[in-house]
Amino acid sequence: MVGADWPAATGRCFAISLAIKTENLSKIYSHDATGRPVGLVDLSLEVEEGQVFGLLGPNGSGKTTTLKLLLGLIFPTAGKGEIFGHPLGSNAYKERIGFLPEGPYFYEHLNGIELLSFYGSLFGMGGGRLAARVEELLHLVGMWDRRFIRVRDYSRGMRQRIGAAQAMINDPDLLFLDELTSGLDPIGAMEMHKLILELRDQGKTVFLCSHLLKDMEPLCDRVIILNRGQMCETGAVRDLLRVENQYRLAVSNFSDDLSRRLVALAQRTEPEEGLLAAYFADQNAALSAAQEASAAGAVIEELGTHHRTLEEVFIEAVGGEE
Amino acid sequence: MRPIFRVARATFHEAWRRRFLNGILVFAILIIGSSWVFAYLQPGAELQMVIDIGLGSIRFFGMLIAVFLGTRLIPDEIERRTIHTILAKPVSRAQFVFGKFLGGAGTVAANLLLMGIAFYIVFAIKAPQLQAQKPEDALIFAAMYSNIAKAILLSFFEIFLVLGIAVVASTLFSWVLSVIFTFVIYFVGQMSDFFQQLADPERGASKAAQILLGTIYRILPHFEIFDIREAILQGTYTPWTTILRIIGQGVAYLVVVLLIGYLVFNEREV
Repeated sequence: MVGADWPAATGRCFAISLAIKTENLSKIYSHDATGRPVGLVDLSLEVEEGQVFGLLGPNGSGKTTTLKLLLGLIFPTAGKGEIFGHPLGSNAYKERIGFLPEGPYFYEHLNGIELLSFYGSLFGMGGGRLAARVEELLHLVGMWDRRFIRVRDYSRGMRQRIGAAQAMINDPDLLFLDELTSGLDPIGAMEMHKLILELRDQGKTVFLCSHLLKDMEPLCDRVIILNRGQMCETGAVRDLLRVENQYRLAVSNFSDDLSRRLVALAQRTEPEEGLLAAYFADQNAALSAAQEASAAGAVIEELGTHHRTLEEVFIEAVGGEE
Repeated sequence: MRPIFRVARATFHEAWRRRFLNGILVFAILIIGSSWVFAYLQPGAELQMVIDIGLGSIRFFGMLIAVFLGTRLIPDEIERRTIHTILAKPVSRAQFVFGKFLGGAGTVAANLLLMGIAFYIVFAIKAPQLQAQKPEDALIFAAMYSNIAKAILLSFFEIFLVLGIAVVASTLFSWVLSVIFTFVIYFVGQMSDFFQQLADPERGASKAAQILLGTIYRILPHFEIFDIREAILQGTYTPWTTILRIIGQGVAYLVVVLLIGYLVFNEREV
């Protein structure tokens, strides 16, 4: 097991198990006209066990390449990586992982039960244990009523659901999910989000790849943002979203006089669908502005520290690279 | 070992749903079934016609199925991306290649078996009629039944070898190229003795020609050894030791071919 020393608040040191670790992992397919490498360049990351880790990036940023390298489907041109302490591509860690590819493809002639039984049998599962697991998963992903339908007749959402089920057939410790909610309706997407949070509560590690940033924000503990094959931002989501020394006051039912007053007091103001948002560098300034607004008859809709959205972080990171 | 059989089973079930294979099988059975009609075209050589058409069809259509199935087994998995979810499970690349081959071999064997049964039925109907015309050849006819079973058995191993070459070719080349490559190897392999004769110094072969042609002879699979039609027609008893020696040669060659396939596929990105 790979471990990294991590000083705790108590001053003691204890080992944190890493599910994934890569060092300068690279896969360079070619170089573009400007001589810039195309592929993935020098990716170093550590994913602790029990985390929900998000891999974000625009199309062609290297997300799929990263996943394929981690799964041993392609081979690095430089660098190295480990999953649960085993080198990439080794069969040793595959007992403990599950993988849902983007737009999953399966043998078309199988129905839901046969498909899950096939994948379960690759883990050496069989008999009553496999049958029970298949039934449990079909219920979990909402496919039990459609268990006899053949894959060739599946809708995109059904493929996604059965794909999630096959990824969990071995009760994996680490799940790689590529665009999990792709093709799902809002209820299906919500169910999958709930599932990920349940998996995290069970101590599973989840490695999510997505471009749906609003979905990722409440799910991920840490994210890494890739652009053009290079890491341009990484960190805990709460750290990335936090804006140092920024307080936000949002008011409604405000007069023109109050609006002018807030413009004068705040660092900046922004109108927002019937609201006026004002941003302050100092907490006391925000509080006194709120008191002033309240006295002027406005309604205080929001007062607190300001957070960015993951989308803003993403655009800033990717835009900076561009 | 278990993943090999799981992959093989899935491959077998999927292969039976390939319409072009079903088409080849139906056509082959029609040709074999109508061989007794063709027999009337050559009075005096009816039996030879039945055997030539029957066994020839089994080998030819079996070869077609092996080539078109074998060259698609792995590329289809890669193009449809079904391979991603399989190799992400504890299935090694060696297990995947051997599983795909085994599933393909099962499909080919089932097709050959059906063609063989069709031929045996035609032969069992036709032979007694011809035997009645030549009662003095009773012993020859008796040997034929066992020889035909042996010939069909040999065609299994011949076609397995073609399938193995097709699977390996598909890991090396594009589909069109792998089909051409397998056909060329098969047809040139039918004439491997010819290369040995050309390399014979007594026939005036130069030193360079001896080395080149001798190397080709040693590398190529000797497909002609699987053809025992002459022995059948002459009513010569072909001993089981001969059959087992031929099968042994085929299996040894197949193991080497599959090993090459594994080594190539192990380095291949999917």
